[in-house]
Amino acid sequence: MQDLKHLITFENLLDDAANDLVKEAQKEGQYAIGYTCYHMPEVLLNVDNCFSTRMRAPRTGSIDISTYYMSNYTCEFARSLLERGIEGGYEYLDGIAGVDACSAMNRCYEHLEILDCNKKPHFFVTHTDVPYKVENYNVDQVATQMRLRLLDVMHEKLGTDVSDEAIRKAVKEHNELCRVITEIGNMRKLENPPVTGYEFHVICLVSYVCPTAKILPLLKETLEEIKNRKPDPKPWFRARVLVVGSEVDDLDFTRLLEESGAMVVADRYCYGSFPGREEIILNDEEDVVKQIARHYMKTSECPRYMADYKIQQRRDTADRLAKEFGADGIIYEQVKYCDFWAFERPLASHILTEEYGWPTLSIDRSYNVHNSGQLRTRFQAFVEALEIKRIKSQNKEKQEVPV
Amino acid sequence: MRYIDPKNFRLKDEINWKAQAENMKEIGGIVADLIKETDWKDVARSMGKDAKGLKKRLTHEADLLKNMSPEEFKDFLLNGEKQLGKLYAKGKMATVRREWRGVKDTGVDFYEWARMWGMLLATFSKDLVPAMMGAVHYRWMISYFCCHSFMDKNTLGLRGRALKMHHELIYAIFRYVAENLVLLMKADEKVGNSTALSKKIVLFDEMTMSQIMAGFPDLIGIPYQLMPVFLLSEIDQLACMPYIDAIESYGLPSDTCPVPSSECGAVVVDALPHMGACFISSSMPCDGSVMASSYTNRRFKDLPTYHLAFPVRYEDESIMDAAVKDIQGCIRFIEENTGAKWSWDAYFAAMKRFNEETKYELQKWEINQTPHPQLIGPCYELFRKWNYEMDGGLDPRIISTFKKVDKLMMKAYEHKDEAWRGKMKYRAIVWSIPAHYYANFSNWMANCWGVDILVEMESLNFTKPLETEDRDEALKDLARLYERMVMRRHTNGGYDHVVTELWRQCEAWNVDFVLMYQHVSCKNMATVQGLFEDQARERGIKLLWCSHDLMDPRTVSRKDMRASVNEFMRTVMKAEPVDPSLLDFEDDTTW
Repeated sequence: MQDLKHLITFENLLDDAANDLVKEAQKEGQYAIGYTCYHMPEVLLNVDNCFSTRMRAPRTGSIDISTYYMSNYTCEFARSLLERGIEGGYEYLDGIAGVDACSAMNRCYEHLEILDCNKKPHFFVTHTDVPYKVENYNVDQVATQMRLRLLDVMHEKLGTDVSDEAIRKAVKEHNELCRVITEIGNMRKLENPPVTGYEFHVICLVSYVCPTAKILPLLKETLEEIKNRKPDPKPWFRARVLVVGSEVDDLDFTRLLEESGAMVVADRYCYGSFPGREEIILNDEEDVVKQIARHYMKTSECPRYMADYKIQQRRDTADRLAKEFGADGIIYEQVKYCDFWAFERPLASHILTEEYGWPTLSIDRSYNVHNSGQLRTRFQAFVEALEIKRIKSQNKEKQEVPV
Repeated sequence: MRYIDPKNFRLKDEINWKAQAENMKEIGGIVADLIKETDWKDVARSMGKDAKGLKKRLTHEADLLKNMSPEEFKDFLLNGEKQLGKLYAKGKMATVRREWRGVKDTGVDFYEWARMWGMLLATFSKDLVPAMMGAVHYRWMISYFCCHSFMDKNTLGLRGRALKMHHELIYAIFRYVAENLVLLMKADEKVGNSTALSKKIVLFDEMTMSQIMAGFPDLIGIPYQLMPVFLLSEIDQLACMPYIDAIESYGLPSDTCPVPSSECGAVVVDALPHMGACFISSSMPCDGSVMASSYTNRRFKDLPTYHLAFPVRYEDESIMDAAVKDIQGCIRFIEENTGAKWSWDAYFAAMKRFNEETKYELQKWEINQTPHPQLIGPCYELFRKWNYEMDGGLDPRIISTFKKVDKLMMKAYEHKDEAWRGKMKYRAIVWSIPAHYYANFSNWMANCWGVDILVEMESLNFTKPLETEDRDEALKDLARLYERMVMRRHTNGGYDHVVTELWRQCEAWNVDFVLMYQHVSCKNMATVQGLFEDQARERGIKLLWCSHDLMDPRTVSRKDMRASVNEFMRTVMKAEPVDPSLLDFEDDTTW
């Protein structure tokens, strides 16, 4: 297939946390609010004079200093962010919207504050509480937290207009972005998709790290380009996989998978499009922040939600996406030392195999996989297993055809 | 009414004798295989070696006595032995014998030993058959046979009033253990199968306190994994390894905390009793605990589960409403699944008791903050955890234990007793999570190096008296209590609760150093280790870092833990051991 026109631009935007579009927006008087977790409603950070930028630590090398602070057996993602912060990589931020969802990430935010990693006078770090269930009172709890610990702080520190009108406007723009990403993503359902898993990963990531208003025109253009793109006559991949698990913002992960012959047809991981790129449907009756809180809580697939219905939802979502996107198998992945996914991964992959009938591969990985030979071997073996399974079932079908 | 209502022990068992016979047949087969496969010549050789060792030891001890001067002999006779390291033997599960504490204290000790046996026999005889059958069903039940050894190792080196106080406490701990074991085996489908009892039992996640059950006086709240996993690991250091191995074989990474890992492993190897009207799972205290409940749910699909999950940023009162509604939801859930009705009168009565217990607890702190600390050591720590915090005022008998101990403690304080007679040199507090497989570590530190462990981080929880009149306020207080429960108060809601709090406590307890446990799988504490280092240096506070893996002694053995203390005491504190025989000894296989 011909290269996408903006792919290199997008890749360049992902090379640095403070990318060109972020800088451009800041020059225009906008404030950059960093965040990491889906528990923090992205759309609330895009209100009025603020824009959200999901924090990453691209091209991470040594994480020695953050390891001194957070030890060597805690989440590498959290440590990489802290290391980048200590190096001055987040000095561009005007605030960090934190949630107390996992201890590693909470401590990362705290270190960024304590170690004075951002010298801007108005810089703030919020810590909001998030629940473990989705009962009505939990929705109220999140809505209250978002008002008190986020919107009020943005208003006070940055003079942000946090009125319902401003929030609804942000939701409208967010939905437009979601429609574009979803339409591109849905093309992966095709037998011979005009977009690769890697390209989609790039597209999806830029939509998280860049100001929506700045990236949206480029994404719209890319959508049109993909619609008219002519795929290769024969699919390049040998198997279609759904990736489920913890945070992946490392393009090398998808690259490694695709080099092993697997096309990522659906991305059910944190920083992926499921969840994150679903439209938020608002009504006119209920409090707008409460509606947004409910949307994020209901769509969240984070294993931190311990209620039975959420556990079941996570399994059903994996099954549904695998079916909808025509996956041959599911890869459960976790970033090393993530407690939530450490427990979720073995049990869920076992159940998806035994009860839902999906071939699964269960792996843990570094934050940056680089060119891991170990992972490559496991991916290749999984692709081969899926291929053999497909060939066997095709042969069986042929034998069953009446002569 | 007596606690626990004796009627509960008399409820009808519905033992499936056919299944028991099959189990016994299987056990018989295993025993036969063991007999067949055993190299009896090797056993005989080993017994011969043991006999030689025994002879050598007796000769050595006789020589020691012979070579003593009359003053030394008198001291030995009255105050007991001084070289406690000699009680350990390589490769043995128990110590070579019980400690000689001097005539009077050995008498007290043996009296308490017999009293403990009496209590255990009396408790188990309330329904002996299921308990006995449970011992052949569950590997973990066997570990409870070593409870006297546990008593001994936690009272090692104690004399006088301190010995009496510790015995009072450990008696209450084992009464709690024995009664729960009897109830567990009686209600378990695989053993006693008493459906009448099972319907009255509400199971709790092991770290969740029982206060909420105070409003249901006719029901019994049992911390589900406490006996098969949590407390077990404190009694027998080797007990949780099969669970950890099982769950790691299943796919769980080995870097996770052994508490939820062992719980999940116990589920995988089917080591949890199948019983109860419902299960209260909880998010407490940390991320790993949140996840373990999905494994329990998977194993016991017929057990209705409620997830009691309190806010993490607990100082933020704006989320109190959610916490209160969660408690109300839990109460409703228990009512729906048991048919029982919440009683405010019963709740307030129990909380009044709990408040009184809290006063006694604070009294202990007050005494220990003085230059003459009295009640220190593992029995105090364990009693506080199980009989005060977890029991939560439900058991009225605990008040009398508190009273007896308080009386002894005050008298000891008046006489300026030393908690470990003639041995106390340094003041320290424990921060972070202690190793379960070395529950008597503070006892070793006192006996070997003369270190008073005045208090532990896990003790310093919520101490505000709970509301006992206004219902709305009472629910809020209950939420505040749970939010600040053991481990949770420090590890949740921001670094200030664990880092800054330590410096506050160092001042309050006037310490020489901090025993800083480094539980190698605790992500929560690990993520602040650099801040501890930085800020301790700024303040000139000495930190003794001591690694362990909570329930898995294979990662860091007891011997390794001792080695890190020995090194610190010699190099940083420039200290001399008070009992050099305890510096290095073998206890890798000791209970």
